[in-house]
Amino acid sequence: MSDISARRDLSNFGVPMDRWTKPFWDATARHELQFPQCGDCGRFRWPPGPFCPGCRSQNTAWKEAGQGHVYSFTIIRDKVTAQSFVPALIEFPRAGGVRLVASIVDTPLDVIETGASVKQSWIYAGEVAVPVFEI
Amino acid sequence: MTQEAAKKATIVGIGSTPYYFRGESLPQTLYELIGKAVIAAAADAGLAVTDIDGMASYAYGFEPGLITEMLGIPELNFASTISAQGGGSAGVLDLAAMAIETGRAKTVLCLGACQQAKVRYGVTFTNMSVTPDSVWSHAAGLAGPGQTMAMLARRHMHLYGTRREAFGEVVIASRASALTREGAIRRMPLTMDEYMAAPMQADPLCRLDFCLETDGALAFIVTSAERARDLKQRPVYIAASAHGGERNWGRSFFWMNMPDTDFAASGSAHTARRLYRMAGISPQEIDVALLYDHFSPLVVMQLEDYGFCPRGEGGPFVESGAIRLNGSIPVNPHGGHLSEAYVIGMTHIREAVEQLRGQAVNQICGAQYALVSGGPAPIPVSGAILRN
Repeated sequence: MSDISARRDLSNFGVPMDRWTKPFWDATARHELQFPQCGDCGRFRWPPGPFCPGCRSQNTAWKEAGQGHVYSFTIIRDKVTAQSFVPALIEFPRAGGVRLVASIVDTPLDVIETGASVKQSWIYAGEVAVPVFEI
Repeated sequence: MTQEAAKKATIVGIGSTPYYFRGESLPQTLYELIGKAVIAAAADAGLAVTDIDGMASYAYGFEPGLITEMLGIPELNFASTISAQGGGSAGVLDLAAMAIETGRAKTVLCLGACQQAKVRYGVTFTNMSVTPDSVWSHAAGLAGPGQTMAMLARRHMHLYGTRREAFGEVVIASRASALTREGAIRRMPLTMDEYMAAPMQADPLCRLDFCLETDGALAFIVTSAERARDLKQRPVYIAASAHGGERNWGRSFFWMNMPDTDFAASGSAHTARRLYRMAGISPQEIDVALLYDHFSPLVVMQLEDYGFCPRGEGGPFVESGAIRLNGSIPVNPHGGHLSEAYVIGMTHIREAVEQLRGQAVNQICGAQYALVSGGPAPIPVSGAILRN
């Protein structure tokens, strides 16, 4: 059993996109994390979609995520490889509290806790940069 | 009987196959299991299968056309499926009640079944294709419902100080009830030490927090109260039924962006309010609660959402022994999904009916009102209050 959270191998993982999610991946290609905000009322939403749930506007602006922290997480141990994987919910208060499902990687399991601030890292799924986090 | 009372939807027949461990129902086919449950339910009611003229089921739905062909049901005047997954299980009673009370149909079959030989529902997300708005969960390896429920459970622990002992007590209480339940899959007692020693599956959930994977089919016959008077069984009335839910729950664990107070919860509070209003009773008047127990922490959260204890106090409430057979609100006296069998909520409806007929294995003395909940899962969630 490993004491450090592992990185998943995403080399063969395909990332499907549509017109509403593509700007997210355009930003990660630049190693930037951005979330969609309503261009009219300013409300953030997640996942990216065609309407603001507050005012039904389709005007969308993409904003920097800002500092994130751990909202919740689970630990899944791979019985075969004895690796520990940590899918987590990372919350971004400066982006309206949007929560992103992402892995916590390269981190000792005993320091992963709710509320911990996270640092940005990346795993490549082919050409696509998938955001992951360290503590 | 007033005209309104005469129309009241009433459960008059229940039928079930035996419960099988995953895959062990083979070589019977899924529709064979369904057919056996339907035939048993009609016989239980004292009706002919050919009297059925309506059908209600939930997602993982079944083909009404195929069932009418297979069983020689001459005509259907109502055929509807609730779109939910486990959330809609109790909602089939809502569909049936609407059909009966509006006069659309006279004899409605409610149906639920599963056969997990080929597809295991517990790995359901990996069975699903990766879509533009689900890609993040797939990339993080958040691959099954238990792992997503672990997120809710950990948040509940963080916000309210809920202990793993509370989840353990839900499982232990369920095992204690299943001991006497013939046909239950897990009939061994469980201690807290054994629970704590079980391997972690999706921390903080251990293997024992996950429900069973089983095969089986259940069918219920619903008709009007007036007609029920002439049938074989003691009538069990659908006092209230509801399906729906709030945007703040939405797709729940497929969304993960519920507001904080809704996140560490079961998404059932809205359904609960509607049910109590419709039935004209309060939580204190419920004699037995059949709560959808796919994962033990969600029982704790449903107890809060259904008003048996205040928000955040589900852990200490459960640890006090409140959900035991002699507790203030006995939960799942049949052993539930954790110990008896998992047929996506349908076994809970059966137990509610048996309790209110006075035929239950672990009979709650004088039970008059039974609550049945659908699964904490994407909208529509559902529930029903039955009375005798």
